[in-house]
Amino acid sequence: MAYGRRAFIGGLAASAGALALPRFPSAAPLANVRELGVLRVGLYDNNRPWSWEEGGKVHGIDADIARAVAEKFGVRTDLALFPADEEVSDDLRNVVWRGGLLGFRKCDVMFHVPFDRDFAAQQDQVAILAPYYREGFGAACGDGMSACEGVPTEFRGKKLAAEIDSIPDFYLIGNFGGILRPSVTHYTTGYDAVAAVKSGEADLAVATDAQIEAALANAPGDAGKRRKGPLPAMLSPGWDVGIAVDEKSRSLGFAIEEEMDAMMADGRMAQIFAQHGVQWRPAAAVAPAG
Amino acid sequence: MKGRFKTLAVTLAASCATMGMPAQADNHTGPSMADIMNDAESTGDVLSYGMGPWQQRYSKLDKVNTQTVKRLVPVYAASLGGEKQRGQEAQPIVYDGTIYVTGSYSRLFAFDAKTGEKKWEYNARLPDGIMPCCDVVNRGAAIHGDKIIFATLDAHLVALNRETGKVVWNKEIGDYKAGYSATAAPIIVKDMVITGNSGGEFGIVGAVQARDVNTGELIWNRPTIEGHMGTLRGADNGITGKTNATWQGDLWKTGGGATWLGGTYDPGTNLVYFGTGNPAPWNSHLRPGDNLYTSSTVAIDADTGQIKWHYQTTPHDGWDFDGVNEFIPFDATIKGKKMQLGAKADRNGYFYVLDRTNGKFIGAHKFVMQTTWADGINPKTGRPNYVAANRPGAPEAAGKGSTVFASPSFLGGKNWMPMAYSQDTGLFYVPSNDWGMDIWNEPIAYKKGAAYLGAGFTIKPIADDHIGALRAMDPKTGKIVWEYKNAAPLWGGVLTTGGNLVFTGTPEGYLKAFDAKTGQELWKFQTGSGVVGSPVTWEDGGEQYVAVMSGWGGAVPLWGGEVAKTFKEISQGGSLWVFKLYSE
Repeated sequence: MAYGRRAFIGGLAASAGALALPRFPSAAPLANVRELGVLRVGLYDNNRPWSWEEGGKVHGIDADIARAVAEKFGVRTDLALFPADEEVSDDLRNVVWRGGLLGFRKCDVMFHVPFDRDFAAQQDQVAILAPYYREGFGAACGDGMSACEGVPTEFRGKKLAAEIDSIPDFYLIGNFGGILRPSVTHYTTGYDAVAAVKSGEADLAVATDAQIEAALANAPGDAGKRRKGPLPAMLSPGWDVGIAVDEKSRSLGFAIEEEMDAMMADGRMAQIFAQHGVQWRPAAAVAPAG
Repeated sequence: MKGRFKTLAVTLAASCATMGMPAQADNHTGPSMADIMNDAESTGDVLSYGMGPWQQRYSKLDKVNTQTVKRLVPVYAASLGGEKQRGQEAQPIVYDGTIYVTGSYSRLFAFDAKTGEKKWEYNARLPDGIMPCCDVVNRGAAIHGDKIIFATLDAHLVALNRETGKVVWNKEIGDYKAGYSATAAPIIVKDMVITGNSGGEFGIVGAVQARDVNTGELIWNRPTIEGHMGTLRGADNGITGKTNATWQGDLWKTGGGATWLGGTYDPGTNLVYFGTGNPAPWNSHLRPGDNLYTSSTVAIDADTGQIKWHYQTTPHDGWDFDGVNEFIPFDATIKGKKMQLGAKADRNGYFYVLDRTNGKFIGAHKFVMQTTWADGINPKTGRPNYVAANRPGAPEAAGKGSTVFASPSFLGGKNWMPMAYSQDTGLFYVPSNDWGMDIWNEPIAYKKGAAYLGAGFTIKPIADDHIGALRAMDPKTGKIVWEYKNAAPLWGGVLTTGGNLVFTGTPEGYLKAFDAKTGQELWKFQTGSGVVGSPVTWEDGGEQYVAVMSGWGGAVPLWGGEVAKTFKEISQGGSLWVFKLYSE
């Protein structure tokens, strides 16, 4: 499989509808990285299975992809975990193009950035590129949850779990006339919500596909399975995940994208996902037609 | 350096003693509890945020007055230095010949009050991982005995020796990694330092905490959201409110209600009054109920940490109208009856007067041009008459949904900047802003790398000639006696004096003085950057001084749109300006 170059650059290119962009001659940012011998990568803190810290080490799918890319460049990684701000656009400001107000140094690249034309059109300081995964929302059920494949109104009275202030949260507490609201327990992350199902603490969790698969594979406990059918009236159809670089460092972005394309083509990408219990799904933007 | 410093301190102490400062055997011991409680009466110092426990920001000094103010000239400007020229929202403390002022980025400075020479500077060492939501401001310090105390952006409370700037104690008051921060000035009550908390992160719960001023050890903790347990000297001290009375499910556990602006104190009732922030999650349709005690004022017994009364200004808030604004005690005679009252100009655009002994509603009047979200406050219930059509809608997947115009905007009819009350005119001077916002559900939103249903908004002016307006309100009638309009949003505190003057700063860089009775602008001075701090005044050697911080910043410049046109040319800064009357 070959993956063509795709990027949303500086909002303008995206709004002009130019998806495939020519390579720009300046490779200075990449040369810089090579000279310094380090690729500084911004990753969300506490975002299992993508990036999290445990035992003084940064773990996760995004961390492993970053390491693989850096290895190809012949440099080491400086994985900078940062706390999520109110919206991803704030994260792009703090991590990619301005840096934090209190000394957080901006990164060469940030992972786990939504690859979405409309969103990119609003971000005029960064280039968003290298779509590497298709994310969506689903549910995980405990063993005793007979209504797992049923309509959500059948979840009433069961112990429901969701990440606080997320679409799964809004889905459960805001839909169906609010009848599920008293049954919802909130967790800090979607991974924790699914882990509660696996440990038997909760009956059903709504979370992202990656959170569901990773927690069912790796969290302590024996219970739990994935709901097969889609969730009716789910508030999001899913989205592609990519990376972002400073608009002035797009050549670096292209170089990273090239490495990631190669990883997707030769199966290394799927392998990294599998190591975390997650099935790799190619981004819709790069999925072969048909 | 040390030797020189000691000499200076001794000289100053001596000169103060001859001036008839509050009776102190030795000023090295610093202001006592009695001195701090007497701050509104004493004219030779400024010992507390708000100039007295009631925080009326009133001084009876009258040498600078409507006749003489035209001769007010700078004595010096002292720079906070460095590259941290951003958002100076502090109010200075003045004691024993020294001005103590906090700077942005959690710094504290001591300047010689006469010359502006720097005595010492303390820079809190902040972890570089913190990303404060709402700029890097600090609003002031508290003084007690030999200590000067302030809160830092990483949610620590730090007590420094006021003569050396060395740390006496340093306590964590919240976990910055969980999103807690601190920017408000602490208050001192009965040898306790009392603080609120703040944080932009989702999931935090508001609380008021009292600590031993000498050690920083926690004495009591009172969460502001129903269902949470309070503590007193390490023991459980009763749950706030009644669990699940006004919240559904487990949402109370992460209900919001941060007390990020600090509080006031009334020695008569022994109550501390703290305002609370808006509820979480943001969209009100997800959390039916009043959501107590968010967007409220809570009155807490200073000894026990128990809530004695509460008054919710925006039940079931849906506009980000947090209720943190200062509740300022004052006495007045209404219908022939002497009343113990308190007033609050709320983010929601209404000016409330309550009985401060029990929280009973006395009156509420609009202090901004427009309140689209409510049509007045019902005098029987004290609750707003909501305009249902102007509540932002429930989150939905399909499209933008309808756009609601809401006024005031989420930055409020009045934001953090404190108002003042004149005991001479009986008027409150309210720094307010007339602006609205278009708000809609934003389906193309992302949070923590994942799809999210957020809200989109655009703040916009609602008048051609101004956003900011300094308004003189009669608390007995709710009438606006005068108003001064300002092009840019007002973001600084107010001071009023026995000289029939009202002082406030503007983002355009001016410190201005107005006739307290008529609102006529009598004097202004350009400080070189926006003024968003709170002015103070004191007397030394028979001369009256006025001081204010200059340095543009705070939350306003973080939001663009049409409003930004009014301040795009304003330069950053960071200076303490001190003024007195010019004499031949």
